[in-house]
Amino acid sequence: MSRYRELAVKLKAAEDLMHALRTQQVDAVVGARGPMLLRLKQAEEDLRNSRNQLRALAANLLSVRDDERLAIARELHDECGQALTSLQLGLSWVFRKLPRGQRPLQERISSLSATTTNLIRSIKNVAGQLRTGALDELGLIESLKSQAREFEGDTGTPCRFKTNVAGDTFDRSASVAVFRIVQAALTNVARHAQASRALVAVTMRKNDLSVMVVDNGKGITRKAMLSHESIGITGMRERTLALGGTFTLGRSRGKGTVLTVRIPLSRVTGGTASAQVKSEP
Amino acid sequence: MRKARKGETHVFRLFVAGNESNSLQARENLARLCEEHIKGRYTIDTIDVLKDASSAYKNHVLVTPTLILVKPIPAVTVFGNLNDTRQILAALRLKCPR
Repeated sequence: MSRYRELAVKLKAAEDLMHALRTQQVDAVVGARGPMLLRLKQAEEDLRNSRNQLRALAANLLSVRDDERLAIARELHDECGQALTSLQLGLSWVFRKLPRGQRPLQERISSLSATTTNLIRSIKNVAGQLRTGALDELGLIESLKSQAREFEGDTGTPCRFKTNVAGDTFDRSASVAVFRIVQAALTNVARHAQASRALVAVTMRKNDLSVMVVDNGKGITRKAMLSHESIGITGMRERTLALGGTFTLGRSRGKGTVLTVRIPLSRVTGGTASAQVKSEP
Repeated sequence: MRKARKGETHVFRLFVAGNESNSLQARENLARLCEEHIKGRYTIDTIDVLKDASSAYKNHVLVTPTLILVKPIPAVTVFGNLNDTRQILAALRLKCPR
């Protein structure tokens, strides 16, 4: 046998061996000290357990983060907001007390007052973002609708909101998760998609709640989809998986990106199907 | 590559690890393939490496299940549970792949 042929046979054997190992068709490895049974199923089970633990940890982390966000929002609103409001009132008082003819001082105080007003507005916005908007007061569907409107107002990109859900009383943690997912998805659309249209659709189906965020932008790249640095995507995926749902992200047939999240109804409604489906006209 | 002459006996050596699932499947699959394609013209020597590891060393067997077609030459080595009938038949020269 020629040297080349011999090498080709060895290579083929190595490939076959790799295939057998990869497809878990191997029970034992024979080493220098005797045969060693490969407990592949056990290893698989261990891996699945580790994954579940990691997922539970991630879910816990997300919940802690939500609580912290809420605390920061409260602090911002109550402490900074109050302090800035009294600063603004103080500036108005000084402005009124200034003797006439102190034009440079008056202008300076007016400008400081305007800056303070902007700061108060910014803090309100940031606190609102941190606090999941008006989720507790409005419920999930209305909050998402309002988020779509805000997105439209902030970016100038028309954003439709579509749903067949009427009168929701979704589970709070599921609501926060869905709200955050849509928030992150719309942030991604605003930052990366260069879209001229967007759509948020929330559909109550027989067994699950489907949430879709679609845009007609340049479409997500495969690299961005798989990147571990895409914290937004990782967060959305983890929130979905923590609720026992499925998360898919891909390019739409025409152009743009489609994000689909499906969460089992039992997890969204906390075991009681209390959200109602709008009756079709 | 030489095809088996008509009536020629095929000699197989199958290395398994006790009754582990892949080993069991490999035994069953090999017996079935032989019955279907070379009925009465084969011998299978099954070696359990958990009882006889030295045979595995001698035959340079690294993993189980490993099947060696000893005769007709050239010898062929196949790894895994032999579930992929088409590939296995082709590898053992019992039937050409379509």
